[in-house]
Amino acid sequence: MHCSGVILAHSSTESSTLETHGSVASQFSSNEKDTAFDMTTSEKVVELLNQAALISTEEKLIVLKQVQELIINKDPSLLDNFLDEIIAFQTDKSIEVRKFVIGFIEEACKRDNELLLRLIANLNMLMRDESVNVVKKAILTLTQLYKVALQVSFSVSDMQEPCWDMVTQMKEDVLALLDSDNDGVRTHAIKFTESLIITLSPRTHDSDTPKKQEGDISLDKIPKDHTYIRYDTLCEEGKLALEQLLKFMVHPAISSINLTTALGSLATLARQRPMFMSEVVQAYETLHANLPPTLAKSQVSSVRKNLKLHLVSVLKHPSSVDFQGQISTLLLDLGMSQSEITRCTPATVQPRKRLHHEPYVEGKRIKMEATLVEDDDDKEEPAPVVTPKPSSSAGTQSSIDLTAEFLLPLLNPENVANLVLISMVYLPEVMPASFQSTYTPVESAGTDAQIKHLARLMATQMTAAGLGPGLELCKARDEEVKEEDGGAGESSSKDPLIIRKLSAVSLGQAISVVGAQLAAYKSPVTEEAPQIKKLPEPILPTTQPKAPGASGRKKVFKLADVVQPFSEAQIEKLANMAIKRILQSEKAIAQSGKSHVRVKLLARLVTQFEDGKKNYLLQFILEDMRGRSELAFSLLFHEYNEYLSQQPSGSLDSYEHCLFTLLSGLQEKPEQRDGLFTKLVLEAPVITDSALEVIQCYCEDESRVYLGMSTLKELILKRPSRQYQYLNVLLNLSSHEKEKVRSTALSFIKRMYEKEHLKDCIEKFALTYMQFLVHPNPPSLLFGAGEDTEVAAPWTEETVRQCLYLYLSLLPLNHRLVHELAAVYTEAIADIKRSVLRVIEQPIRGMGMSSPDLLLLVEDCPKGAETLVTRCLHILTDKVPPSPELAERVRDLYHKRVPDVRFLIPVINGLEKNEVIQALPKLIKLNPIVVKEVFNRLLGTQHSEGSSSMSPLTPGELLIALHNIDSSKCDMKSIIKATNLCFGEKNVYTSEVLAVVMQQLMEQTPLPILLMRTVIQSLSMYPRLAGFVMNILARLILKQVWKYPKVWEGFVKCCQRTKPQSYNVLLQLPPPQLASVFERCPEMREPLLQHVHSFTPHQQALIPASIMAVLEANSRKPEPEPQAELHHPEIIEEREVCCDETEVATDLFFSFVMYIQV
Amino acid sequence: MPAHPLRVAVVCSSNQNRSMEAHNILSKRGFDVRSFGTGTHVKLPGPAPDKPNIFDFKTTYEQMYNDLVRKDKELYTQNGILHMLDRNKRIKTRPERFQSCKEQFDLVITCEERVYDQVLEDLNSREQESLQPVHVINVDIQDNHEEATLGAFLICELCQCIQHTDDMENEMDELLQEFEEKSHRPFLHTVCFY
Repeated sequence: MHCSGVILAHSSTESSTLETHGSVASQFSSNEKDTAFDMTTSEKVVELLNQAALISTEEKLIVLKQVQELIINKDPSLLDNFLDEIIAFQTDKSIEVRKFVIGFIEEACKRDNELLLRLIANLNMLMRDESVNVVKKAILTLTQLYKVALQVSFSVSDMQEPCWDMVTQMKEDVLALLDSDNDGVRTHAIKFTESLIITLSPRTHDSDTPKKQEGDISLDKIPKDHTYIRYDTLCEEGKLALEQLLKFMVHPAISSINLTTALGSLATLARQRPMFMSEVVQAYETLHANLPPTLAKSQVSSVRKNLKLHLVSVLKHPSSVDFQGQISTLLLDLGMSQSEITRCTPATVQPRKRLHHEPYVEGKRIKMEATLVEDDDDKEEPAPVVTPKPSSSAGTQSSIDLTAEFLLPLLNPENVANLVLISMVYLPEVMPASFQSTYTPVESAGTDAQIKHLARLMATQMTAAGLGPGLELCKARDEEVKEEDGGAGESSSKDPLIIRKLSAVSLGQAISVVGAQLAAYKSPVTEEAPQIKKLPEPILPTTQPKAPGASGRKKVFKLADVVQPFSEAQIEKLANMAIKRILQSEKAIAQSGKSHVRVKLLARLVTQFEDGKKNYLLQFILEDMRGRSELAFSLLFHEYNEYLSQQPSGSLDSYEHCLFTLLSGLQEKPEQRDGLFTKLVLEAPVITDSALEVIQCYCEDESRVYLGMSTLKELILKRPSRQYQYLNVLLNLSSHEKEKVRSTALSFIKRMYEKEHLKDCIEKFALTYMQFLVHPNPPSLLFGAGEDTEVAAPWTEETVRQCLYLYLSLLPLNHRLVHELAAVYTEAIADIKRSVLRVIEQPIRGMGMSSPDLLLLVEDCPKGAETLVTRCLHILTDKVPPSPELAERVRDLYHKRVPDVRFLIPVINGLEKNEVIQALPKLIKLNPIVVKEVFNRLLGTQHSEGSSSMSPLTPGELLIALHNIDSSKCDMKSIIKATNLCFGEKNVYTSEVLAVVMQQLMEQTPLPILLMRTVIQSLSMYPRLAGFVMNILARLILKQVWKYPKVWEGFVKCCQRTKPQSYNVLLQLPPPQLASVFERCPEMREPLLQHVHSFTPHQQALIPASIMAVLEANSRKPEPEPQAELHHPEIIEEREVCCDETEVATDLFFSFVMYIQV
Repeated sequence: MPAHPLRVAVVCSSNQNRSMEAHNILSKRGFDVRSFGTGTHVKLPGPAPDKPNIFDFKTTYEQMYNDLVRKDKELYTQNGILHMLDRNKRIKTRPERFQSCKEQFDLVITCEERVYDQVLEDLNSREQESLQPVHVINVDIQDNHEEATLGAFLICELCQCIQHTDDMENEMDELLQEFEEKSHRPFLHTVCFY
């Protein structure tokens, strides 16, 4: 104790050194080595202990071992000083360090027995360590220290009593560990028991004691007058321990290692304490006849090998002489040859022994054994003749012996044959492993020895089964013994559970063996009995009977004792876990090729459970739908099956839930291309409403619409029983707000429409929807079932369309439907009409103008549907010229029923030329936009090509026709506007066309009023036509243009615009007209005069004087003369301009050509 | 018992082929291993089956090697004996006899049943002192080079499994059953005490 202060002081300085150096342990210890020489052992120990506190486990163990060496072997005087410091490591977290502490305790106690008093409590603590390895080490140490404890109890004073009590308690604890769950702990407990039995039994002259244990204490060395250790109690404890060991051995489920250990222990006991020879041999016999059924084949071999080995070692002991027969039989059974057995048998007679000794040494046996045998022999010397034990009397005969004796005479051939025949019935189908490995052919069948052996074997079995006269006899004998010997044998005979024999018998025998001694010390028992009660822990009397009872209870296994029903929650949990495991074994099972079994199993299992597991399984499936589709289908079918099996009261809920979860689960996944969804829907035995909703959701999802609808289509086509329900879903989608959904639905419906049996239904649906249009307000149906729209919502473009989508897509497929539209149209309000007109373009175009139904519609043209018909006509002829049939119908309509010229517009190109000309006045009076449309059609300036060729009028003819419109039928303004439209089309009305038009107009008589307007217009469009225009003007002079006031006016204007070219034309005018020109435009006179003056004299001479007069005169007397000079111009013309009509035309043509070339 | 490395002894009859092969592999895997023979002499194949080369346990591998080289270098090169001896002498100096070794082991592995019997006999004839248990396991291996290699791997695997158990004694039985199934050979197994 005084040293701890030093350590503290020391460690504080050292730790500061450590801190300043920051050094590691190795550095530290190298420093130590330098100074180690000068240090005392004590100082060194202090250093080492200080190190040990800081370093790793491995180094710590090395250091601690050094300390142990120093204080136990080098300088034991230090042991006491440092005890506490070392013991402190028993709480170390390392198992190895704790084991070291145990080892240290053992060494220390062996060195100084009195230390046990201080250390036993620590050992007790360590024996309850959580680590089995520490516990095992503690048991080993207790095995050694038990002897020390016993020893120390005699040498030291009374203060050790509590210590002894504790040791006794610990002993009990270890014996109880024979029932431990841990194989290794049990093994150690067996060894402890072995050592305990040896210590607590007297060594006798024939004991075969190992040399190193010569000095060990045993019962015979215990003084009989000790204050608290009582000889007879110890003796009794020893026997109880043996009993426990034997009981342990017959446990039917003993492990092979425990059995091996126990076999070895028994052999040791037999050799060291020959008084137990009988029990040991019997135990071997019983075991041999009843090998535990739990052993594997190789374990049976191992055990038999051990049994053989130990039997030989027992056989070699001189005290085995009484049991040689039994042992030899066993060895023969174990496959040893008679000669070998003989070789191992010690001779009972001196000379024979010598004889046997010689060949033994020469034999293959190793020397070790030979010397061992010699040792035994030497010991035997003092008692050369080993006489049979008193056991030959009936009193010590075991029940087996008795039964065997009883059986022996009964084993005649007849009985044996009967026995064989009877037992044939009970033979198992397959030879048990243990029999196979233990069977050896019976060598000596029919001999006395063999019959005896057989009798004994049977006796063993019978006794084990609780039968036979021997057992009864023994029981009776037991009673007697008990009466004689108080409660000594009480505990064993009380044990009714042990059927496996031995207990009662062996105890009886043991008692009889030591009976004399017991009797001798009877008095101390009674004397000290009250003293036991004074002790603080009177453990012995109470615990001893308990221990075997406890172990006995465990040995009979009843399922009901150890099993109790699970709680609901536990069952639930276990079931869940089981299913989970099956689920998770997916890959392993797939590899084994038995996945179909797993799938079936799962489906069957789960359908029988509540929703929790189903949902779990469903989630599992959805994690990898593709890989687990088989499972999904299987589950679905099982659910349906379940439903069917519960008919008619069954509910589809569970099935529906399963299908719904799978389908909607699939919907949440990113798109799959494997068609799993379709497959699932099509293979499902029943499509429930919720499943149908999922399918609808699919259809409404733009990214999956195609998948959804093709699945729906398959359903419609392949599930006729409910096809109208499915069809209705699809039809409803045809008015969906999403364009993609709608158009896909429509295209699917169109395909369905080809099926005769679906046609009606689809048509009806389409018409019903269209009929909505006659209502004043759109029905709430259109807004989706969920929306609670007020009924009074007005029609919108959108709602109108919604009603028509399906109808319009059907229209091109079934033209008859068009009449329905007309009927609805007439009744609808204006807004709807407009909308309808807008949307029908595509379908009408699709129908084509050859459609008989369409022609019929045109022909009939219901009242109020005129605009619709017009629209249709427009659509039809928009790109394509009207067919004769169509034109015919329109013409009819126009002439007979609805004389609205607008009907004609679409088919105008299909009409005759005169019809067009006739209609022109009406047409040009229409809205300018419509007029433009008409002209476009006539002039072929529509978007499409090729229609112009079909026009009944050429552009020139059109312009001429316009000029010729009777002004009574149409106002001039409209005509002018119409011509302006013509001039607007510069591409059509080229200079060539205009030239021809002007030429023809000029030739007409009377001249058209607008002639000069057109000329001027043309000239302004094409100034290069000037030359041509001059000719026109000249020609007009010939046609006495001045007689048409409007034209004349235009003529003058034209001349005015075209000066100076027009000078020559003006000069051709007769003087009165020239004067009239000057009247209108006085400013022209002077330039014209100048022009004439610029002429050569000869040219001037050609100008008539009357003209000159008009030119020079200041408008004095213009009127009287014009008539008189009328001839002159004509003459001039005859001379200068060819008068001939044809020549003029040619001339015009040339100038035209020239103009083109310019 | 992961805390301390398993102390292993591998035993065959002459401490030449099977035990040395296993010794070699086990020491490479970091086991605390020793190897032994149980025979009275070291026997190596000779020119004919009835004429083996017999040495006593004191002879070093080196000496055996030189002796055989001298006798018939070609023969002993061809049957692999020289190669084996060469390997052995790099592991330790000379063969050792199990019966003469007093060191304690956790695990003794024998290479044939006869050797197992001898080991058991020896261990049981010793005086018990510390009662420290030692497990003895027999793994039957034919005495040729190929089987020795295969057997050594089996032994090594077995040792590794045992080393990795938390509680060797408690799990040994089960472990051996597994190994028997796996390797299709029976293992004798017992426990002795020092």
